[in-house]
Amino acid sequence: MKWLFAPQPRGRIAALRTIAYLFIPVDVLLTTSWVAKHADVPGSLYRPLYVGRLLHLPAPGPVSVRLVMALLLGCAFAAATGRLPRLLGAAVAVLYAWWMVVAMSYGKVDHDRFAFLVLLAVLPTVGPARQGDGTEDESSGWALRCIQLAVVATYFLAAVAKFRFGGFDWATGATLSRAILRRGTFASRPLLSVRWLLVAMQFAMIGFELASPLLLRGGRVTKRFVLFLYAFHAASFVGIGIVFLPHLVALLAFVPLERGAAIVAARLRPWRRTFGPFAQSPAAVHNRS
Amino acid sequence: MTTLTLLGSRYSQDEAFPFGPMSQFAFRTVPDGRIDVASLRGTVEGSTAEAPLSTASFGLRRAEVEGSMGRMAADPTLLAELVHAREKIRRDLPRLSYVRIVQTNYLLKAGRRVGLRESTVAQWRR
Repeated sequence: MKWLFAPQPRGRIAALRTIAYLFIPVDVLLTTSWVAKHADVPGSLYRPLYVGRLLHLPAPGPVSVRLVMALLLGCAFAAATGRLPRLLGAAVAVLYAWWMVVAMSYGKVDHDRFAFLVLLAVLPTVGPARQGDGTEDESSGWALRCIQLAVVATYFLAAVAKFRFGGFDWATGATLSRAILRRGTFASRPLLSVRWLLVAMQFAMIGFELASPLLLRGGRVTKRFVLFLYAFHAASFVGIGIVFLPHLVALLAFVPLERGAAIVAARLRPWRRTFGPFAQSPAAVHNRS
Repeated sequence: MTTLTLLGSRYSQDEAFPFGPMSQFAFRTVPDGRIDVASLRGTVEGSTAEAPLSTASFGLRRAEVEGSMGRMAADPTLLAELVHAREKIRRDLPRLSYVRIVQTNYLLKAGRRVGLRESTVAQWRR
């Protein structure tokens, strides 16, 4: 239990807030802009999720989808400034969850959102945070640990699902051949004739998914595993055109973003002194020196 | 939350999102079986040439079309509704006079593609 609350840097929360809240407009308007198109899809194709039925949410229509979208974008931009982190963060979490109900209620559900939804849910539990702040505290630790656990769960439960739906011989099947035939690119199509390699890749996938709890070990193991995962997702994008961007944002919870923010802040300091809102006139600087 | 996630992964289906199983790519494709891919094809008004149509122009992803294919085969008025949606989503595109959903089956032998079969699942004509 102590491990769950082990202090972690406050500055990482600040950096994650900026990145995650600025990622939302990219996600909504660019990388998954298909969600908004559900506004015009016939209501007869709406297949509500449990949560939609439980909350009696209406079938998405032109007005409700555009309203949720406008509110979500407004709140995300406001939250990215770091102001009112609890209130705006909570609003973004609720609105993005609603956006996901719009996205996933037409018979196809994606699994790249789980850790990102957890990230949005826990970020508001931490109070104000400053960029580059290396101070460690328990509330930041708990929030970051929750996101890290959600990332691990995404991989580990993907392996569990392969055993459940595909059987213990999933890795000897032709799932990757299917993915390449359906969505392959110039980079992956040649692999269709190298069956042993595709099977080896399937074994490797199960292997690293089952090994994903090692991400929580810390130190060099975590660093190398995270680098491997970013490389794996980049390769998937090149090979089958799929990239789990929201999940990759959540994966940043393992990365010492606070150090990067501190370096950026240090580099910007002279510029801010010269051109920022409190810039001194050259004469004042000269007189002081 | 943890309990819901674990129970969801073990017992539920996709509709339990976000607590459902992580089932993308979890189904095993039999190496001597077949791979199904759906696509939309149609002709625009004033033309007789059939061309592929993007599912996105209908407001759906391909997997969503595949998920609703059975219902569209049983009730082709659903396809008419989709064409109507396309006219709202992509006003810049020419109107369609004919649309069909095509199911392509790639036949596999030891994981390699050895043949191809196509069939029309549902169709609509203006």
